Amino acid sequence: MAQLHVSDVVKTYGATTAVDHVSFSAAPGRILGLLGPNGAGKTSTIRMITHITMPDSGSVTYEGKPVGPWSQQRMGYLPEERGLYKRLKVQEQLVYLGTLKGLSKQEARTNARYWLDRFDATNWASMKTDELSKGMQQKIQFIATLLHDPSLLIFDEPFSGLDPINADLLRDIILDLRKDDRTILFASHRMEQVEQLCDDICLMARGEIVLQGALREVKRQFGRNTVVVEFGGSDTFVDALVDADVVRVNTRTAHRAELTLTGNAPARRVLDAALSAVDELYRFERVEPPLNEIFVETVGEAEARRMQEQAVAAA
Amino acid sequence: MYKIWLILRSEFWRRVRSTTFIVATLLAPLLLIVLMFAPALLGELGEESSEHTIAVVDDTGTLLDRLQDASEEASRLSFVAAHPPADSLRAAVLAGAYDGFVVLPASLLTDDNETITYYSTESSLGGPARLENRLEDAVRDAVLAARDVPEKIQALMERDVDVSSQVLSEEGEAGSGIILTFIGFGMAFIIYFAVFIYGQFVMQGVIQEKSNRVVEVVVSSVRPFELLMGKVLGVGAMGLVQMIVWVALAGAGMTFAGTLLALFVTPADLGVPTDASAQEVMAAAGITMPTIPLSLVAWFLLFFVGGYLLYASLFAAVGSAVEQQQDAQNLMYPVFIPLVVPLMFVTFVVESPDSLISLLLSLVPFFSPIIMPLRMTAASVPFWQTLLAFGLLVGGFVFTIWVAARIYRIGIFMYGKTPSLTEVVKWATYR
Repeated sequence: MAQLHVSDVVKTYGATTAVDHVSFSAAPGRILGLLGPNGAGKTSTIRMITHITMPDSGSVTYEGKPVGPWSQQRMGYLPEERGLYKRLKVQEQLVYLGTLKGLSKQEARTNARYWLDRFDATNWASMKTDELSKGMQQKIQFIATLLHDPSLLIFDEPFSGLDPINADLLRDIILDLRKDDRTILFASHRMEQVEQLCDDICLMARGEIVLQGALREVKRQFGRNTVVVEFGGSDTFVDALVDADVVRVNTRTAHRAELTLTGNAPARRVLDAALSAVDELYRFERVEPPLNEIFVETVGEAEARRMQEQAVAAA
Repeated sequence: MYKIWLILRSEFWRRVRSTTFIVATLLAPLLLIVLMFAPALLGELGEESSEHTIAVVDDTGTLLDRLQDASEEASRLSFVAAHPPADSLRAAVLAGAYDGFVVLPASLLTDDNETITYYSTESSLGGPARLENRLEDAVRDAVLAARDVPEKIQALMERDVDVSSQVLSEEGEAGSGIILTFIGFGMAFIIYFAVFIYGQFVMQGVIQEKSNRVVEVVVSSVRPFELLMGKVLGVGAMGLVQMIVWVALAGAGMTFAGTLLALFVTPADLGVPTDASAQEVMAAAGITMPTIPLSLVAWFLLFFVGGYLLYASLFAAVGSAVEQQQDAQNLMYPVFIPLVVPLMFVTFVVESPDSLISLLLSLVPFFSPIIMPLRMTAASVPFWQTLLAFGLLVGGFVFTIWVAARIYRIGIFMYGKTPSLTEVVKWATYR
């Protein structure tokens, strides 16, 4: 059963419509990826879910009730822009933020100790926050998000600024949290991260949702029109195929190409071209399109439709 | 409500336990004392150097003696006989032998319209005035003596009348008028500085939270309004603690002033018995400690709190709109101007506390925190006026807090270009 419902939500700031009739749901035990370029309305949507701002129209409900101070207590939010009180000691910081979430001082202290242990950070407790490195501060902020054992978790670009080791640690913890039947919302414009983590996606552009559903469904919808070729030797055949309008290039390196077939072009044309040109062929595979491709294709189409609509309105 | 309390407590402790706060709280009174006594001390030093020796060419034959007789007194002028010609005296003054010279013609004792001229190398205001006083006394004595006026009458004419003033109110005499007005000035300026400085603290706090980006985490746990109020009240509580410490220090200073004074001055010098009480010593030294009516202290605190709430919330609104203190300049004017306006009327209100303008100024919420306590020391203000002013002040701060909260909840998420005043005002109208 879905826990979080965003229904037909609109938010405007002055003349700009940041969120335009957006609806989606998130279910416990699953991770919902909110995707979109900068300015798509992700953060504005999240702020309404976190009850920081109120929608102009539409509603946000959690467990069947409109969100409010009560849901803030059960929710952990990691904003895109991180920040902590620089002068406070780590322990004080966590206890303060924990009590604001409704924990008693004692509970906050106990939970802070547990999470500091889990992040190998026990001996930071009495350090001032601005004495910590950036990566350490990120961990503290992450602990502050989890301290009160929230059932709804919202991460806005959680991996930005993290080194690979900490990013792995964070990913493991997010996947652990999913096992506990929590509802997790994950906003990002980094497609490969979303692909690795999310069960459902919700693609936003210009304040609207342009595509949503289970990640697997969405990918199936776009078919297996992508071809991956790995080879040794000359790669000129790729240029020839592009010139002949058989494929588009998604990614390309000296010995690997990921190509999207255009129109109804058969995949074997790529294989034929490759076999006649390369010294050795290591891999040839038809795959589902990467999310990045789907994203560009969909947002590109949405933009095109919008421009058409504007032309009609002007005429 | 509970969240406001949590924020208040955190804000309060974070500030109060800082070394800056402790040092400032303890050092400020010291600094104040230094500032208060520095002018007096400097004046004292200046006067010591203004010991003047004046050459007198006395054609009346009697005035110089009279001047010299009196010159042991504290006017720091001494007189020596000199002889013309004027040219050589001029040269002597220029050479520094005397500070100045004066010629007293014989007609000075007979002609009422005679004027004399004092020649000196410096144009000091105090010098001629003191000389004039001394000469007047000498001339008067000489003329009276010449007419055989009885000593009794001479004594009568030298009698001084000291005027001290008392303010009357329904509760009876409210202490010494001048000292009370002085206290009124003090309260007006304390409220002004306190509101301004604590308001700045609130603004800095808001700016720090915003530029640290910690604000978004906090408002995902509490309403922006709760954060705003918690901060304003937390800083306010810190301010109250500081004030109470200062009041306590001042009270202690007043209580023990006599004892302290006795350390430096022996009672005998002041003409009181050696076993005199501290109070008697003070009285003898010409220092009377005012008795401040408790109701005035209570109103002072109430108006301070009201004024602080009114302005601090506006400071917070300004802080929420910017990312750095420097960017706040332009937005500060609408807050700063109403805070400064009453200062310009302070003297006026003291001089005519019952005029219509004074009454109106003391009722307007933006001005009343400074003007009303001042007015209350200068005149006996009807209770209903004080109550009305305070009621309006409460209405005023409820309104500014409401406006500030509406600006604040938008401002804390606005990054980039510093908004104009019109934009900030527009935020208040957003849904």
